[in-house]
Amino acid sequence: METKPLALTILDIVSILVLVIATYLALVFAPTELVMGDVQRVFYFHIGTAWTALIGFMLAALFSVTYLITKNLRWDRLEVAAIEVSMVFFFITIVLGSIWARPAWNTWWTWDPRLTTAAVTELIYAAYFMLRQGIDDPERRARFGAVYALIGGLSAPITFFAIRFFRTIHPVVIGGGNAAAQGGFNMTADMRVAFFFGLFAFTIIFIDLFWHRVRLGELQNKVEQLKLQSSI
Amino acid sequence: MFLQNGTPDTSGYMIAGYLIAFVVMGLYLASIYVRSRNLKQDMSMLEEMEKADQPKAG
Amino acid sequence: MTDKLTPVAEEPIQADARSRELMASRPSSSFFKAVSAVVWKDVQAEVRSRELFSAMLVFSLLMILIFNFALELDVKTRQSVTAGVLWATFAFAGTLGLNRSMSIEKDRGCMDGLLLAPVDRSAIYFGKVISNLAFMLIVELIVLPVYSVLYNINLFIPGLLLVILLGSIGYVAVGTLLAAMSVQTRTRDILLPILLFPIIIPVLLAAVKASSGFLNGADMTEILPPLNLLIFYDIVFTAVAFMVFDSVVEE
Repeated sequence: METKPLALTILDIVSILVLVIATYLALVFAPTELVMGDVQRVFYFHIGTAWTALIGFMLAALFSVTYLITKNLRWDRLEVAAIEVSMVFFFITIVLGSIWARPAWNTWWTWDPRLTTAAVTELIYAAYFMLRQGIDDPERRARFGAVYALIGGLSAPITFFAIRFFRTIHPVVIGGGNAAAQGGFNMTADMRVAFFFGLFAFTIIFIDLFWHRVRLGELQNKVEQLKLQSSI
Repeated sequence: MFLQNGTPDTSGYMIAGYLIAFVVMGLYLASIYVRSRNLKQDMSMLEEMEKADQPKAG
Repeated sequence: MTDKLTPVAEEPIQADARSRELMASRPSSSFFKAVSAVVWKDVQAEVRSRELFSAMLVFSLLMILIFNFALELDVKTRQSVTAGVLWATFAFAGTLGLNRSMSIEKDRGCMDGLLLAPVDRSAIYFGKVISNLAFMLIVELIVLPVYSVLYNINLFIPGLLLVILLGSIGYVAVGTLLAAMSVQTRTRDILLPILLFPIIIPVLLAAVKASSGFLNGADMTEILPPLNLLIFYDIVFTAVAFMVFDSVVEE
């Protein structure tokens, strides 16, 4: 584990490449949106990070169930990595969402289902890490973490749908009832290219960061074991 | 913001957004790197301690 | 009548006999016996000390007081805000009860005793949920008339009572599980609200929506969806918590 696998180095290079391309597509290749202007371009990264973070979150819930069944700490390390990287990505999502909202709808925050659920999920992540921090025994930490990751993984989607169905969107919109008001806009073909490539790029980047984080977890595990051994 | 013709110039926001995205990702990478380096130092220290103990135990 | 401190020598024998009794009886009846044993123990303890109850009640009344100064509860806004004020109060008071309920288990070593008995761990879970729910409901049932009197609103609408029941079930189902975890961490009490609140947002959302609906005489087509969500949440999370509770209390 000490030596970095060649595949990871390749992935690093690929990640940087796709990030550069995605940025080019978003900033240069895609046309400027008519109503909102250039700020709309943050949308490509906003959705890219949101989508991957969401999948990461669901993966974490899956890892947690697998841990609870197998009790193999490897799954715990995967779970922590998934949640940590998702947390970073969702943070970007939320900030970009806010930056987009400001010039588009004259508000720093909209309580729409997606953004609100992202915020709630972020808080679940924070709670997750606080829970783990308060436990010294690695096995118990893994168990409790897994339980919370599972409960959180079930709750967040329900939150999303609950807000969607029950909260009337506060009309904060200037511009009336056009598509832009709901946060949508019609995408041209060029925009679609930037959009889909953004999704692809962030998936690659997520996997890359995830892999690095898993290795960090393995390193942590080794150090902890060494500490236990030396104290015996 | 021009309402008649022309698109508003919101490029400032765009730059802020992209900057933040890159900075946050960069910071996270840095955090992984720093933690990894600290752990490797811990590990080499612990291994040294073990080697030092062994002659005594033997 | 009351239980004096039983001499240590007696306890193992009694515990043994009880265990044998439990093992001998059919699994389902021992499950119910275990559940009712847990509930009964909590109720007895509470009747004697009234710690949980008084703390939760006083806290709730204080919260209503705070809301009075924090919000402009004039006659018009009262209508729209009552549901939210009530549920915020219940949510916070609830954490007090949950924290205390689980801390008592841990501190007095009752948990270890319960765990030694040859019963399904989920029996402990259900027992705790039922007793926690009972305490929460009792507090809520006292808060309602107080609020009604203070703000001249009739809160004794059957629909509202139903929502309070369903919401409390969801809250306590998740809360008991999370409290069992938080009580075993270093940060203990502070951690529970942090863990609990993001998870019960659907409950709050649906409960406030449905409560508002009943209070303002809305159409059933508006009230039914959030009510259904509450039922769905209750079922899902009780089932999941019941399945994972084992992992949370094993040593």
